[in-house]
Amino acid sequence: MLTPALRIASKDLRLSLRGAQGLAQTALLGLLLIFVFSLSRKPGDPVPALAAAAIFWLSSLFAQVLVFNGLYSLEENNGARLGLAMAPMPPQAVWLGKALAGITLLLVCQCVFALAVAAFLGQSVEGSPLVGVAAVVTVDVGLAALGSLMGALASGKSSRESLLTVVFFPLIIPVLLAGIRLLEGVLTAGEGASLDWLGMAAAFAAVFSAAAIVLFPHLYTGEE
Amino acid sequence: MISVLAVAAALALSVAQWFIWVYAPVEETMGVVQKIFYIHLPLAWWAMMSFLLVFAASVMVIWRKDQRWDRIAGAACEAGVLFSGLALITGSLWGKPIWNVWWTWDPRLTTTLIMWFVYAAYLILRQAGIGGERGAVVRAALGIVAFLDVPLVFYSARKWRSIHPTVFGQPGGGLEPEMLSALLVSIFAVGLFWAALVTLRSRQLTQTAALRNIFLHQTR
Repeated sequence: MLTPALRIASKDLRLSLRGAQGLAQTALLGLLLIFVFSLSRKPGDPVPALAAAAIFWLSSLFAQVLVFNGLYSLEENNGARLGLAMAPMPPQAVWLGKALAGITLLLVCQCVFALAVAAFLGQSVEGSPLVGVAAVVTVDVGLAALGSLMGALASGKSSRESLLTVVFFPLIIPVLLAGIRLLEGVLTAGEGASLDWLGMAAAFAAVFSAAAIVLFPHLYTGEE
Repeated sequence: MISVLAVAAALALSVAQWFIWVYAPVEETMGVVQKIFYIHLPLAWWAMMSFLLVFAASVMVIWRKDQRWDRIAGAACEAGVLFSGLALITGSLWGKPIWNVWWTWDPRLTTTLIMWFVYAAYLILRQAGIGGERGAVVRAALGIVAFLDVPLVFYSARKWRSIHPTVFGQPGGGLEPEMLSALLVSIFAVGLFWAALVTLRSRQLTQTAALRNIFLHQTR
């Protein structure tokens, strides 16, 4: 399953980065969000680390929704989805491939968001940057696992992606809380970056990866 | 079946009112406002049972590919959203005089609110006809994913902060025996009402689907 998944991921990345329109739009939206949230404080007032972490993850969430909508819309024309569904490989390879491509694009966007959080919200990393990277990647794995499954739900002509965000946002609350606490801990070198929250983020990723492996073959079919 | 359930629910709810207002004593510190608890907790319980039923019916849709289970999931979800909404409102009304806030960050409150958001969105997606030909399977996947989220939401919200009292888990018991009896009667009565409501809505959805099929057959 890994080889076809890697092939799908590399195909999706090549298509997404061609012209880089999708990625630029996603990064721009996240940047705008961080900038707009910076207006909630008077000039010169410090932004608490918890609020900065929440703003970073909100930008990441919006970016994530755009990334996965883009990845699954690549096969919406000319019956390409039917072709991919009929390809001689486990259907879960499509989920994994899209998740891998999605997490790569999301991490690229988050590099930009991290700089924006430092610049617009006046944050600096007091804790271990390595723990910060580990926390962001673990949370992103959970977001990508569920995001790739949700992308399959939204595929097809009769679906409306905007409606799925309504159900996606409350579903990711556990991993969002974990991400906010972990990032706050990294920004302030406090207790937030505890193993408990990292475990919560890992549990979220494990539960929804398992659910996706079971459910994806039923969802990703040639039907409209 | 529905008539019997509805009559039994009406009688049981009446009996529960007697237990709540006459049999159970007035709580010493909270006073008469504590009576709202006998409605609040059964609503929250049966809301969670509804979400469990949505999950079970969704598993059956994926397993058996039978549309009947999809309609049961839909009916259960409607009841769940209604009951959890009412549980949130009654909880808020109870919390204001006791905690002096309409809303606070508590694992059970937060879990119920997030579940309300998820299942309200599920109902909107149902109405919007998401998934087209794959509609039942898409809805079932959502029903399964939503329920898997419940323990994660509860655990993460509990780690964030908690002030909710534990009713059944406390050592030595958190309730007087009369209060516990009134609560159990109320849970049973609301349970009958819930069963009547879910059965009725399930049948209505079946009839709607049958009428739709007849209409589609005639227009072909």
